[in-house]
Amino acid sequence: MGAAMAPSPDPPGAVARRPVAARVVARLGGPVVRTALVVVAVFWLLPVLGLLVASLRPEEAGARSGWWTVFTAPAQLTLANYAALLSDRVMLGSLWNTVLITVPSTVLVVVLGALAAYALAWIEFPGRDWVLLGVVALLVVPIQVALIPVAQLLGGIGLYGSIPGVVLFHVAFGLPFAVFLLRNSFAAIPRDLLEAARMDGGRELRIFWRLVLPISLPAVASLAIFQFLWVWNDLLVGLVFADESSAPITVALRSELRQFGSNVDVLASGAFLSMVVPLVVFFAFQRHFVQGVLAGSTR
Amino acid sequence: MTRAPDRGGRRTALLFLAPAAALMLVFLAYPAAYSVVRSLFDARGTEFVGLDNYATAFTDDRTLVALRNSVIWVLVAPTLVTTIGLVLAVLTERIRWAAAFRLVLFMPLAISLVASGIIFRLVYDEDPDSGLANAVAVSVRDAFTAPSPYAGARPRDGGGLVTTADGALVTAAPVGAHDVLALPITGFDPAALPRQASAATVAEPGPGLRGLVWLDVGSAADRTGLVDAGERGMPGVGVEVLAGGRVVATATTGDDGRFTVPDLARGTYTVRLPEENFAAPFRGLTWLGPALVTPVVISAWLWIMSGFAMTLIAAGLAAVPRDALEAARVDGATEWQVFRRVTVPLLSPVLLVVVVTLVINVLKVFDLVFVIAPGSVQEEANVLALQMWQVSFGPGGGDQGLGSALAVLLFLLVLPAMAFNIRRFRREQ
Amino acid sequence: MRRFVPVLVAVVLAAAGCGGAEPQPRPAGPGLAGQTIEVLAVWSDEEQAAFERVLDVFEQRTGAVVTYVSGGDEVPTLLATRLAGGSPPDIAGVSQPALVRSLARAGSLVPLDAATEAVVDAQFAPVWKELGTVDGELFGLVFKAANKSTVWYDAGQLGPGFTPPRTWAAFTETLRKLSDTGDTPLSIGGADGWVLTDWFENVYLQTAGGEMYDRLADHDIPWTHPSVRTALETLGQVFRPEYLPGGTEGALHTEFVESVVDVFGSDPWASIVYEADFVAGAIAESTSATVGVDALVFPFPRIGSRRSVVSGGDTLVALTDEPGTAALLRFLASSEAASVWAAQGGFVSPNREVGLGEYPDDTTRQIADELVNAENVRFDMSDLMPTALGGIRGDGFWRAMQDYLADPGRVDEILVDLEAEADSAYAAVGP
Repeated sequence: MGAAMAPSPDPPGAVARRPVAARVVARLGGPVVRTALVVVAVFWLLPVLGLLVASLRPEEAGARSGWWTVFTAPAQLTLANYAALLSDRVMLGSLWNTVLITVPSTVLVVVLGALAAYALAWIEFPGRDWVLLGVVALLVVPIQVALIPVAQLLGGIGLYGSIPGVVLFHVAFGLPFAVFLLRNSFAAIPRDLLEAARMDGGRELRIFWRLVLPISLPAVASLAIFQFLWVWNDLLVGLVFADESSAPITVALRSELRQFGSNVDVLASGAFLSMVVPLVVFFAFQRHFVQGVLAGSTR
Repeated sequence: MTRAPDRGGRRTALLFLAPAAALMLVFLAYPAAYSVVRSLFDARGTEFVGLDNYATAFTDDRTLVALRNSVIWVLVAPTLVTTIGLVLAVLTERIRWAAAFRLVLFMPLAISLVASGIIFRLVYDEDPDSGLANAVAVSVRDAFTAPSPYAGARPRDGGGLVTTADGALVTAAPVGAHDVLALPITGFDPAALPRQASAATVAEPGPGLRGLVWLDVGSAADRTGLVDAGERGMPGVGVEVLAGGRVVATATTGDDGRFTVPDLARGTYTVRLPEENFAAPFRGLTWLGPALVTPVVISAWLWIMSGFAMTLIAAGLAAVPRDALEAARVDGATEWQVFRRVTVPLLSPVLLVVVVTLVINVLKVFDLVFVIAPGSVQEEANVLALQMWQVSFGPGGGDQGLGSALAVLLFLLVLPAMAFNIRRFRREQ
Repeated sequence: MRRFVPVLVAVVLAAAGCGGAEPQPRPAGPGLAGQTIEVLAVWSDEEQAAFERVLDVFEQRTGAVVTYVSGGDEVPTLLATRLAGGSPPDIAGVSQPALVRSLARAGSLVPLDAATEAVVDAQFAPVWKELGTVDGELFGLVFKAANKSTVWYDAGQLGPGFTPPRTWAAFTETLRKLSDTGDTPLSIGGADGWVLTDWFENVYLQTAGGEMYDRLADHDIPWTHPSVRTALETLGQVFRPEYLPGGTEGALHTEFVESVVDVFGSDPWASIVYEADFVAGAIAESTSATVGVDALVFPFPRIGSRRSVVSGGDTLVALTDEPGTAALLRFLASSEAASVWAAQGGFVSPNREVGLGEYPDDTTRQIADELVNAENVRFDMSDLMPTALGGIRGDGFWRAMQDYLADPGRVDEILVDLEAEADSAYAAVGP
């Protein structure tokens, strides 16, 4: 076996060493890895578990003792925080607003971003590299910088305080990452596939739709879920650009917060309620992350 | 040899690009340009001040600390997160419950940054009764050390004892071999004194060094440091007599708090009550203190973003053609070599995206720092994005000019990081 | 089908008309039927509910529709962006007079009309009118005031034999006695720098007097003035590590609400906490103690001879000149509006015409009485300074106080640094 590895001739002692290393690696591939992963998962979950427990405790209990004390005193657990939030009509309305804002934002970012990414990956035109560089550079622009100028702009065209205004803002801010991610993913597609498709007389749009998108599904799905998340959890843009009737749930939750307070009970239960939808979406989408058409040989 | 698309294709390119480009120009490029221009004007935006704002930024302490911290963040955090994401993505490929694991790692992303900040604030709360980190630290430490008998007691001001740096109490003035000492201790609950403690009376003069250690819970302001009726001595306190820094004799106080050290040679001594008598219980580390706050906030960010890196890299892994890996394995390469020589290079486009995005994200992070760091360490934990936020939108109306200058600085800080990473991965490809 | 449409329309219109029937008779007063007025302020949760009841009374009277938006801490940001976007709220409630000043000077505010000003002149002490005045014109109405000279203690812990100390000497003696027995009696929310600044302001007002206080607030005297040092050293008698749970480090990590819970919660670490009357709100929400029963209050210990009170307040300003805006402000200036909120608790009005009987309990009455009738009333200094100095978390005045708590030995250095920051802050704001 060792002789077949042409590039690096092994020193004499290596033959004896490799079986040991191979054995260790083989062992590592099994239960050790699995145990390590379980430990990692538990550590990762602890803070979320803490938040969940905190959401089930009344404010006074949360203010004084740590959440792990509930295991010895389970009587304090209560659903009151959730009940209070769910019975609030404003809260439910804002939940719907959040949907109205997040879904179009996600769809638009994916579509517009993918189109632009395809052009930047596979269509030759002068200045293409500069455009790409510019897009990546725009990743840096923080939201705070855009608040005032965009407020002026939207005010000028009458979109300030409305849901379309918020959506446009989110789409614009999601595009640089979308283009960056998808462009790199598209560029990794083997050239010959595209050549073949072009040679067959396919138009660009068709190639994009039928060939490129399906192949890059993992990347597209990842993008969609992250964009969804980012918009769903956004507070700042919603606070500044949406008025009372179009406020998303993050803003509505905020008005539940007391002026001076740790407010863990409200925050925790609100965070969990808010978290349910993205998690469901993630779970639904996540099989697309790993199912790639290219997994496995295509020759 | 690629066949370049014809003019129709070029038009298509423009069509594909146009909507995205338009949005980005209006919402991103325009505000960025606006910022650069705005940074050259004063707070109200009416007076042109040239580079004054930049000068202010560089001479302001807070900004310099923010800059330093931001550099630390950029150097440390993205690499850590990408590595964790890479390792986890590769390891979870093989296991059956990969989906569940990914969900667990992904969950922090589904929680808003503010809520995550609150979670970590609670975890690192200094009070071991409410902060998980210190609860663990204290339990571990308490398992190995015994509590001291008079935890938290301190010497009475002006009573002749002072506290040294290591927590021991020593006599302020030199002590002779036959002196009578009265050492008042306070700050301890009399109800917690051992049952055998009896009334305190000053030691009578006699041979040897004699002293009284008692709990001075003086009732009146003018009776502090004097033995009053009802005050009791402190039994079991270890006493050391030092000559020139060396312990020459030891004693322990009796039930009435008195001790005697006979047979001392003539000379001057210092009497010391060692720290073990009074050591306050261990209450954990100051996680959110000036020294540890930045690592703490970075760890919170790590918790949140590792799922991001892992998900993207896993998606990239899914697209890696298996035949290349198989070929390498057939050639006899070990798993590690396959990983390093084949997988990682094939993943480099994804890794590039991940690292660059993380670098940029790191520099925009401000709400995490704002929520986790208490007010007293805001300055030590400060990062550029937070400084910019506070300057631009501070409670007094803010200074948009200075804030814009900081935004430009932020941008300039990111550029080299981005350029470096892009070039590195280009080379790998 | 065509014939049905007019009938349908008529039915719909009639239904709409019937649906809007008012249960109460429409009294006299300028009718603002159909007008919408928007108020943006910092109050949320219970305070919001209480304020909305005040607004309800106005709505019923005039037929206008008033919407309230809670901005929380982001009020300055929201105001800035909404002004930029061209759709500011009609009325805004801000907590810092400095913000009122900068908004007025930027021309974003509409001065209060003559009728409202007349009410202010008649029913408020001059100090409140001054707070809302910028460059000679009255722009702001101080609607909600806070008494920042109240010290709260846990009667349960301290027992029935405890008599609240009236003087500073008695206060320090109380603390000493309690700490001698191993307690850490004083809870300070040092993580929130503004708590420490409130301590300082009370001590300074009493040790240096009202006139010096004003001069310091205007930066007529520097922070390195000996009176400042005296006040800090006096404060140092109380900021002793043995009095604070966890020592000075513990205090620096305790936030305001936590400091209240440390006294009144189920596992107390201290028995006395100082802050303004909004401690009552924190007690009500985060602990199971009851104000007036377990949680009692005494006025800030007296150092000088005059009854001195440091106060805070929320100022209402007008951003548009709609008739509804002016009418609403006129209403809010009246003692009637204030009484609506006063009766619900958690509110003290600077309006002298609000009878003490309007307040729901003895403790609030006591606090309100102290505030309205003190000889020496001054507004919270950190709210009077430029915000870059007095309002930034972890910076400026707040930070200087935290540094002093951490290491009183560095007092001179701290004051020199603070003076330098003050110089640039006041210079940036202009005369």
